[in-house]
Amino acid sequence: MSIRVLDPTFEENAAASATVVGLKSLAGRTVGLLDNSKINVKQLLDYVEELLRVQHGVKAVVRLRKPDASRPAPPDVVAAMIGCDALISAVGD
Amino acid sequence: MVQDRTSLHSAIYELADALDANELYQQKGWTDGFPIVPPTEERVHECLEAADLASGDTIGVESVRQRPITAEKVAVNAVMAGCLPSYMPVVVAVLRAMCDEDFNLHGSTASTGGSAQFIVVNGPIRTAIGMNATHGVLGNGNRANATIGRAVRLVLINVLGCIPGELDRSTLGHPGKFTFCLAEDEEDSPWPGLAQERGVPAGASGVTVMAGEAPRQVMNEWTKDPEEIIETFAAEIRHNMLTYSIWSGNYAIVIPKQLRELLVAAGWQKKDIREYVFRSARVLRRDWVKVGKKNIVERGKGPEQEFIALRSPDDLLVVAAGGPAGGFGAVIPPWLGTWSHAVTKGIECGMQNDELQKENVCR
Repeated sequence: MSIRVLDPTFEENAAASATVVGLKSLAGRTVGLLDNSKINVKQLLDYVEELLRVQHGVKAVVRLRKPDASRPAPPDVVAAMIGCDALISAVGD
Repeated sequence: MVQDRTSLHSAIYELADALDANELYQQKGWTDGFPIVPPTEERVHECLEAADLASGDTIGVESVRQRPITAEKVAVNAVMAGCLPSYMPVVVAVLRAMCDEDFNLHGSTASTGGSAQFIVVNGPIRTAIGMNATHGVLGNGNRANATIGRAVRLVLINVLGCIPGELDRSTLGHPGKFTFCLAEDEEDSPWPGLAQERGVPAGASGVTVMAGEAPRQVMNEWTKDPEEIIETFAAEIRHNMLTYSIWSGNYAIVIPKQLRELLVAAGWQKKDIREYVFRSARVLRRDWVKVGKKNIVERGKGPEQEFIALRSPDDLLVVAAGGPAGGFGAVIPPWLGTWSHAVTKGIECGMQNDELQKENVCR
């Protein structure tokens, strides 16, 4: 005798979403940095931008901002991400 | 093609027995730490039927990551939590409320502030499923109170990934994160129920959910004056404003029978309580000196800047509940005031109340 039990977790529908293949190099790429309005994010992302430009040779950095860390980014901010090859989308405390 | 309402889509594990199932779920981190009831297909079907839901129905969507919460996953987690099928309509209503934009589901469940979902149930479903509204109402001892809140927590853990240290970044959290659910004592209170005050029709059932911090217990057994009684609650709110968070928004207060009877005898309605607290729960920036925060006294508009706990009297959720003896009460502060608002929803019931009552039997 055995029992059959169900998985309680969110199971991603493979057909509905696909994982992006990672970039081999950031050189010549455009990287988005999303400021989520947390304290000190600007200073942190300033430093990240410097690292990206000096050490990784990115072509461009797009600085974006959403007004509230805990709500979705507004549609115009999402639209501005479209030209980016990579994005840092969240910063915690 | 018509979807088969009875088909389940979750991955299935075949195990020797319930103890092995519990061990697997513990190892995978699929619990709150306590043992679980194995979610078998039969029990999950019973939960779905009790709420008149198809497995693929979407209860709501977490808007930041666009993650859907399906009825099937809610039912699986409700069974794990120990819910009877008759509790399922309440669990579903709570999750629907939490997916309302006003609740700020992502922020309130991921924040370092570590809030939990304070759930108040009103209407005939409370008695039909045997909820507790009296002794130890914020504590242990009642299956429905315990497992409805727990089911919501398990959905957060398993469906939304609110795992401590992962998406749940709580610095401390609080015991309400296991469960934080009560029924209002409508039978022993002349006041309208919370859900009715917030738009659910009289005679219907409803839930109100608020992202709440741990309850702060107060006591005043030395007066019959309604203003003095409520002033004790207001003082605790002011203290929270100074020691925790200044943001105005929803606060909840739970008033048990002893103090409630004094307020009722003095002719006070919930409205009078809300208006008193609105007037009284205010602090000045200079008050922060007394709680070790002198460094922020000069900020903003300076030492005389006033802060209010409630944006309007309606921000206060007044709940009649608790055991009959003792001049106690509780203040439940908000996670972060204006960042998350309490939401009330009606409970859509697949079964009539007498059917729910019939189902409400321990196996």
